[in-house]
Amino acid sequence: MSGNGSEVNMDLESTTVNAGNHMARTRRRWSSTSKDKRPKLTDMTDGVHEDGELDYISPGQLYSTESGRLFHAGKILIVLVGLPATSKTLLSVAITRYTKWLGVRTSSFHVSEYRRKMMASVDYHNFPNDYFSAKPKTSEGRTKRKEIIDQVLADMLKFFSEDKGQLAVYDALNILVEERLQLDKLFSQMNTKVLFIESVMTDSEMIKHNVDMASRSADYVGWSQEDAVADYMHRLQVNKELYEEMTPKEQLTYVKYTNFGEKLVVNNNRFGYLVNKIVFFLMNLRDKKGCVYFARCGTSDNDKYVDDEMLNQEGNKYSATLTDLILKLVNERRAAQSSPFPPSIEHAAGVGATARSLTPTNSALVNNISSGLSSRSMSPSLSPLLATHASLRRTESTGNASMRQPVSGDGGDEDSFVVWTAPRKRTHDTARFFDEKGINVRQRSQLQQLHPGVVADMTEDEIKQKYPAEFKEWIKDPYHYRFPRSESYHDLAVRMEPLLLEMERMRGDILVIGHESALRVLYGYLMACSCTDIPSLKFTRDELIEISFSPFENRVRRVPINYENSS
Amino acid sequence: MPVYTVSNVQNLRICVVMVGLPARGKSFISQKIVRYLSWLSIKSKCFNVGSYRRQGAPRPSAEFFDASNEEAYKIREQAVTQAVHDMMNWFADEEGVVAILDATNSTRERRKWVLKLCRENSIEPMFLESWCDDKDLILRNIADFKTSSPDYEGVDPDVATADFLERIANYEQVYQTLDAAEDRDLTFVRMMNIAQQVIINKVETYLESRIVFYVMNLHIKPRYIWLSRHGESIYNLEKKIGGDSSLSQRGLQYAEKLPEFVRESAGDRDLTVWTSTLIRTQETAQHLPYKQLQWKALDELDAGVCDGMTYEEIEETFPEDFKARDEDKYEYRYRGGESYRDVVIRLEPIIMELERQENILIITHQAVLRCIYAYFMNVPQEESPWMSIPLHTLIRLEPRAYATHVTKIKANIPAVSTYKGRGTSQVGENEAIANKSLDALANPATSD
Repeated sequence: MSGNGSEVNMDLESTTVNAGNHMARTRRRWSSTSKDKRPKLTDMTDGVHEDGELDYISPGQLYSTESGRLFHAGKILIVLVGLPATSKTLLSVAITRYTKWLGVRTSSFHVSEYRRKMMASVDYHNFPNDYFSAKPKTSEGRTKRKEIIDQVLADMLKFFSEDKGQLAVYDALNILVEERLQLDKLFSQMNTKVLFIESVMTDSEMIKHNVDMASRSADYVGWSQEDAVADYMHRLQVNKELYEEMTPKEQLTYVKYTNFGEKLVVNNNRFGYLVNKIVFFLMNLRDKKGCVYFARCGTSDNDKYVDDEMLNQEGNKYSATLTDLILKLVNERRAAQSSPFPPSIEHAAGVGATARSLTPTNSALVNNISSGLSSRSMSPSLSPLLATHASLRRTESTGNASMRQPVSGDGGDEDSFVVWTAPRKRTHDTARFFDEKGINVRQRSQLQQLHPGVVADMTEDEIKQKYPAEFKEWIKDPYHYRFPRSESYHDLAVRMEPLLLEMERMRGDILVIGHESALRVLYGYLMACSCTDIPSLKFTRDELIEISFSPFENRVRRVPINYENSS
Repeated sequence: MPVYTVSNVQNLRICVVMVGLPARGKSFISQKIVRYLSWLSIKSKCFNVGSYRRQGAPRPSAEFFDASNEEAYKIREQAVTQAVHDMMNWFADEEGVVAILDATNSTRERRKWVLKLCRENSIEPMFLESWCDDKDLILRNIADFKTSSPDYEGVDPDVATADFLERIANYEQVYQTLDAAEDRDLTFVRMMNIAQQVIINKVETYLESRIVFYVMNLHIKPRYIWLSRHGESIYNLEKKIGGDSSLSQRGLQYAEKLPEFVRESAGDRDLTVWTSTLIRTQETAQHLPYKQLQWKALDELDAGVCDGMTYEEIEETFPEDFKARDEDKYEYRYRGGESYRDVVIRLEPIIMELERQENILIITHQAVLRCIYAYFMNVPQEESPWMSIPLHTLIRLEPRAYATHVTKIKANIPAVSTYKGRGTSQVGENEAIANKSLDALANPATSD
């Protein structure tokens, strides 16, 4: 990320005060040399761990500033706090993805990754076992721990001082008051605000899930699951005894995040808008059980931008095939996931979790399983989707004063399935078969395709002929360039931001049926693509895109749609 | 199929139950939430228990609010019962989505009562507590309250302040704050000294989270927002809609005089200018000596296939569309273009940004200005697309705790009228409409 810094700095200075995006566009950042420096991403990888160039403009950025920092927020260090198995890595990656997309220069620093890299030559079995304790007892453990943490700190300091970083996310235990105060002091001296995000988990189901995930991580390749769980539980147990939860007494700025968003406490918020935005994001962030699917809409007769048509015969065939394919994929995955945790975890997790006490609410839940009216759109037996663990456990409580109303239709449940379409008739016509099967279909105006302006329905050759000057500009920067009267991809990203937040909240499966331009932007967020890549992402009618979620990165699968041969 | 502003509105009904001592900005927050959600077409209404109580006790003194005053307690009890009763009817009869119960709701017993009633009617309560021990903030709220509340009409200001402080003291005796442990099963938000400390508990829908985020971004620092349409454009002269034309001679004149108008109104205040991406707004802003930002979201409503036509041509070419638009101008979406509703949805990030910013001057277009103006002035959807907002006029908004104050500064540079009334293809205002538009601008809409 360093190198030819002086040239870049001059570049930045020339785009100061009035820097709207139109100004940002005039910069030379798309010169072929800067493009070459970036490793070419294949379209299957998640770019959240890639560092951008110094003058990198991210997809959702509203304006750029001289210092490269947004929202007048200054430099911020986010420090994750919490025991193992409290989703710290997931949180830090999710925050990084979101703030990067907003145009904040963000990088996450995972101690576990550093350890794996720095100790790659050391066999895990020979690794000092108490390294994983916040307070190692052996001197060997202490040395190793200090060595790794010092390296992380040095890199974070460098990120702020040399690489124009605005937000660093530090993913480590940080469970001791002393450690936290030291961090706060060290970075405050460097004129960097420190925000702690403490993840607390008391829900034993969540802990079991996290232990299950950890026992399959890179640390335990070649281990039996039983041994892996036992080892990981040991790490957890050791630290549990040392853990000092955050309190207002420390006088630090922190967000206490309990059970993945069930409760948030923002303490001593002095940092303003960027922190509010992160809190809003955290309010909506959920651990996803389902996948996000992207599909194009079916064809209509003219397929012109201004025409608003229903599908033609081929388009109908496509939608019918799409409907069957997705239901099959979702049901297959749900069937595979329905197996409960292995016994080793069921036993082990009792140690880690303070088992959730049965509050009156919970016992009422048990007794009232079948009482109350169902407010859902249909009874489970009629649904084309397999019932899951969650659907079986759920209770309907409409009208019952002692519990919350069920949230329905918005995808908040892990077994939900929602289809989003754009306002164009051909896109919601593509969802018709889902609608007929009783699945929630929502028309979202934010999904409206990129407005092509004067070049609507023109081929590249036609554009080149009619608008040669504009065409030249567009080739230079297809993400930010606007043809006369048109929207740029950047405009599209700004108007779609509320949808991203809503999508983060949805725990079940989502199918987005939209125009290629809208899909590019959503995909660009979920896979952390760069501005150079987004305008050329490909979505065809032959392939369904499936994105699945894991704490460290998101994954893509492309599934063929064979509708031409279907009857 | 309906268009969703947020997807989970279906089947979801929320009652935001305000909690807090008097003078904690509860009514300010309540009114803002209603304004924001109504503007997003989410049906919402505020039920202010104080105004119900005033029917039984128009100008009570502080003793009235003493918890041991049994007779007064009865009147207060009646007021809250009536308010909640009306609220339930509103949910049932008018398909309400978000109601705000604006009252102190200061005891756990009262809150439990509201909770039970709500849940029995399939309404999910979200408690929103504004807690404050910042003396300056409280005194500022009191100052606002005693000048605007009917409770103290015609009362000496010092007497009013003393009485109000005593009233607060009476409430303090029985007040129980929301507690992270005891109220853990409730959906609640507790804001301490505006948003310095916030507890957010069990927020389970996107709509709730949006309300919380919105409230966290509100501030009550004094500031102004100026609105202006671009100067008269060549298309305006030709009576064409849309397009991306330059300014006319008179439009350029307006652009030249604009810095002077703004300075007269803003003094030495620093401000930021927001324009759309279209040529006519940028030409209008070209002489302004302030920082400028362009927003695509501020571009004019897209007329799709009708872009560049006159209203007469539209009536001739698309007679059915022309009629349909006049019948429901808010919902009508031009072929291949936008409706007013679509414009509101794309303006939402602008509104959130405006709430947290200080002094801003926005130079944009007729339809977009109508939408922004409608948000600050609480103009209903049926009316907002028909508001007259003349060219060459600078509008200054001053958001205050209980209402937004409007000042209109007319530049004495003539311009055509682009106003088109219902049922005609002719532009231009007759006198009656012109007067109406003046009235609309002069009377700040309050939310009662």
